[in-house]
Amino acid sequence: MALLTLSRSSVGLPGRNLLLTLPALLLVVFFFLLPVAILLSRSVTEPTLGLHNYVELLGSPTYLKIFYNTFLVSSLVTIISLLIGFPVAWALAIMPRGLSSVVFAILLLSMWTNLLARTYAWMVLLQRTGVINKTLMGLGIIDQPLQLVNNLVGVTIGMTYIMVPFIVIPLHGVIRKIDPAILQAAALCGASRWQALRMVLIPLARPGIFSGALMVFVMSLGYFVTPALLGGTANMMLAELIAQFVQSLLNWGMGGAAALVLLSVTMALYILQVRLFGAKG
Amino acid sequence: MLLNFDSLGSWRWVLTIIVVMVAAFLLLPIVFIAALSFGSSQWLIFPPPGWTTKWYHDLFADPSWLKAAWTSLRIAVAVSFLSVLIGLVASFGLVRGSFPGRAFLRGLFITPMILPVVVLAVAIYAFFLRIGLNGTVAGFVIAHLVVALPFSILALTTALEEFDRSIEDAAVLCGASPFEAKLRITLPSISHGLFAAAIFSFLTSWDEVVLAIFMASPTLQTLPVKIWSTLRQDLTPVIAAASTLLICLTIILMLIAAAVKKGLKK
Repeated sequence: MALLTLSRSSVGLPGRNLLLTLPALLLVVFFFLLPVAILLSRSVTEPTLGLHNYVELLGSPTYLKIFYNTFLVSSLVTIISLLIGFPVAWALAIMPRGLSSVVFAILLLSMWTNLLARTYAWMVLLQRTGVINKTLMGLGIIDQPLQLVNNLVGVTIGMTYIMVPFIVIPLHGVIRKIDPAILQAAALCGASRWQALRMVLIPLARPGIFSGALMVFVMSLGYFVTPALLGGTANMMLAELIAQFVQSLLNWGMGGAAALVLLSVTMALYILQVRLFGAKG
Repeated sequence: MLLNFDSLGSWRWVLTIIVVMVAAFLLLPIVFIAALSFGSSQWLIFPPPGWTTKWYHDLFADPSWLKAAWTSLRIAVAVSFLSVLIGLVASFGLVRGSFPGRAFLRGLFITPMILPVVVLAVAIYAFFLRIGLNGTVAGFVIAHLVVALPFSILALTTALEEFDRSIEDAAVLCGASPFEAKLRITLPSISHGLFAAAIFSFLTSWDEVVLAIFMASPTLQTLPVKIWSTLRQDLTPVIAAASTLLICLTIILMLIAAAVKKGLKK
């Protein structure tokens, strides 16, 4: 042991391990912290020093509508993903192995498929003459094609599709760790299936439900690609607004202010998540 | 009861039906795209009136698609290599070191993954405007490296923490130099972490679209940017062909990953 300690300490200076993190640190400082800090600072310096950008952003009905859209879509996506994701995660945890591995492969395939390819598929599926409208009309459920793209309905469908795996995979891990004996005990004590679900299984799965929901909500708030393609220009969300300020309007002050709003909400929710469930959530 | 599939009674069927429907929902767009890429209808009518490989011919006849794919590949390979290298070195420092602020640094390195990518895209775009890196391969590599590095650091710190360091010490006791011990004992032992880091970094860069949209120039664009700008004009079936090829690539990567995982278990 003495020899070992000797060899470890003789390898280098005490700061050697700190030095090893230097390349990563330089990258993060110069190409992450610095650019973000510059962008945010422009929100209070352009066009003139002060908080005008924030006053305009939080005071105008146009922008408030965009905040509302973002919040609405993110909430809907989170709730629908949970409603779909919970039974699937539950079933995956208890189904025969062969079957559950097939479903798992499908989940991973959908998650790993290029985002634009998936969004393109929904653009085609949901268009006026698309398969969904044709099927519904063929079945006689509707007689006019529904408007499913270029509005928030399309965005919600497309984003739910993307987010479901992010609920199912972690939640499945949480449910699998629950001891089946606890539910047997509930049954022995006379609980019906509904009671056992409501009073035992869901409360035990709650950490997984909350952390998954929070993660999906945070991801949805800042989503850019799917809302931009499925939502059309009239139904903007926050990420598109930031892009528009910078790309089309060249208004860096407002862009920085909108970025700060998005960033603060994201960070606050992330810190809440870490506080509640630990860093692994 | 509720956690035993066989004693679920009628609920068993309800759950099975839900799972089948969700699986169908997840598969639907992927299968649909693949079918449409062979459909003869310019307007993406389904079921297609006939079958054709025209869209694949169009795709390969247009040099800008191949050029974009080649650009993406070069960038993704560079990002993957640098991300594993920088991530490995940093992970050694984070896991083996005992300097103050270690937990803080670790958190800092993961942050780009949590931050909404559009904020980073706008920030980097503005920064690159000043230093002239927009529309350059180096610019793409740096920007993608920022978002890929967290995956490497997560995969490699986990792998290094699971690795029993006394094995490396044993090699040193047997006469290996510390560097040789790391190279010949530690690295092979954490190969699954290295592999995961490489593949996640590759995919992060290969599929990345938001940073790329901002940084792309008319002469240098990645494959996702090419798809994006085509999509904004119309829903041509050529994109279905390109998407189908991307889906095939995903399946191949998944099979490789599964094979590697299986090989590790043996």
